[in-house]
Amino acid sequence: MHLFTKAMNNTNYDACPECDLLLKPAQPKPGEKVHCPRCGLLLSRPRKQSVERTFALSIAGFILFFPANLLPMVGLTVLGNANTGILISGVIALYNDGMEAVAIVVFLASILFPLVHLCLSLLISGHLYFNRPNRYLVAWMRWMHHLDEWVMLEVYMLGIIVACVKLMAIAPLKLGWGLYAFIALIIITTLLTSSLDNRLFWQRIEQLRKENKNAS
Amino acid sequence: MRAKANALTQGFIRCHDCGYLVKTVDHLLSCPRCNSHLHARHPHSLQRTTALLVSSFFLYIPANIFPIMTVNQFGAGDAHTIAGGIVELIDSGMIPIGMLVLVASILVPSSKLIGIGLLLLCAHFRWQINARRWTVMYRVIAFVGRWSMLDIFMISILVDLVDFGGIQIIAGPAATAFAAVVILTMFAAENFDPRLLWDNQKNL
Ligand SMILES: [Zn+2]
Ligand SMILES: [Zn+2]
Repeated sequence: MHLFTKAMNNTNYDACPECDLLLKPAQPKPGEKVHCPRCGLLLSRPRKQSVERTFALSIAGFILFFPANLLPMVGLTVLGNANTGILISGVIALYNDGMEAVAIVVFLASILFPLVHLCLSLLISGHLYFNRPNRYLVAWMRWMHHLDEWVMLEVYMLGIIVACVKLMAIAPLKLGWGLYAFIALIIITTLLTSSLDNRLFWQRIEQLRKENKNAS
Repeated sequence: MRAKANALTQGFIRCHDCGYLVKTVDHLLSCPRCNSHLHARHPHSLQRTTALLVSSFFLYIPANIFPIMTVNQFGAGDAHTIAGGIVELIDSGMIPIGMLVLVASILVPSSKLIGIGLLLLCAHFRWQINARRWTVMYRVIAFVGRWSMLDIFMISILVDLVDFGGIQIIAGPAATAFAAVVILTMFAAENFDPRLLWDNQKNL
């Protein structure tokens, strides 16, 4: 048993993150899916030109982030008074009502985390695209991995839909350009998550570091 | 070597952050690739998950009893609980949207609390179960958790937009409790290690 483990090379094996099954890594072609044979978890789904696509989508997402946050999303007119809402104005309204904790949660999940996530994927894919080593690449990858779950743009979108349905009963609604930019931003971030191949990114980062070490 | 064996029993630890496999015999503390702390299973997984689950269970009670928002109409306040808001949507004929809110703010949180509780019992008492089915249950719980924030986001939009002279919507104390429930159960799901289910199975 001990001899056996010594003979095994780290890179020749892989483990399933959810059931810990020891696997020989498959070499899937782009477009193919690899599932864990024991628990069925999707292990990898390589994409064509993952780095290039992620880089392009990060730029697009970063640009869209600003109109989605600054242009009015939904407008409501009651008795001649018009109110328009953007992402941050909901946070401010909650804060002024004395709901500081909820306001902070909404701010983080709908504004700050999505922005940080976009910046990180832009930085990482940009460095990989131009083959630039950076000692912070590893930390950026880890932060992005931990942020994944807390970026809640699509949940916010559902919140907008439900709020609109409720408001339609009160007064006529006007949908603004901010909402369309926000929808585009959600599409971009969804494409971005599916184009980002974690395994490939980690391999490229390690490769860059080794090259850098050899060069210096 | 058996055809299907745990990486840990074969002498490997998988880095939680980057997926790199490290030999246990090397006695490394941090991952050589990403420098994050190495551990074969999430540290104190069951204790942490239990603590988070118990606190979210106690917060779930005020989240459902107290009003999540109050509609002030020309001086008269009308308080809505989570369930009240859904009843109102269904009464006014918005059945699909009412169902959506019902799933996101009642069914998902309550089945999450029960589901994580069952997973904890299963891992603690080493029940012999169909581990694949339970892992799928864990995966579903971990995936749906964030969608419960729907109600909180909706309230932030309503509070912002409905603020005219006569009519006003104000968020209620249940909103804080509910947001805390969603976040704590997300952390609970994150801290639970599904590999414990597999470790306990005697015959795989
Ligand atoms: Zn597996
Ligand atoms: Zn690592």
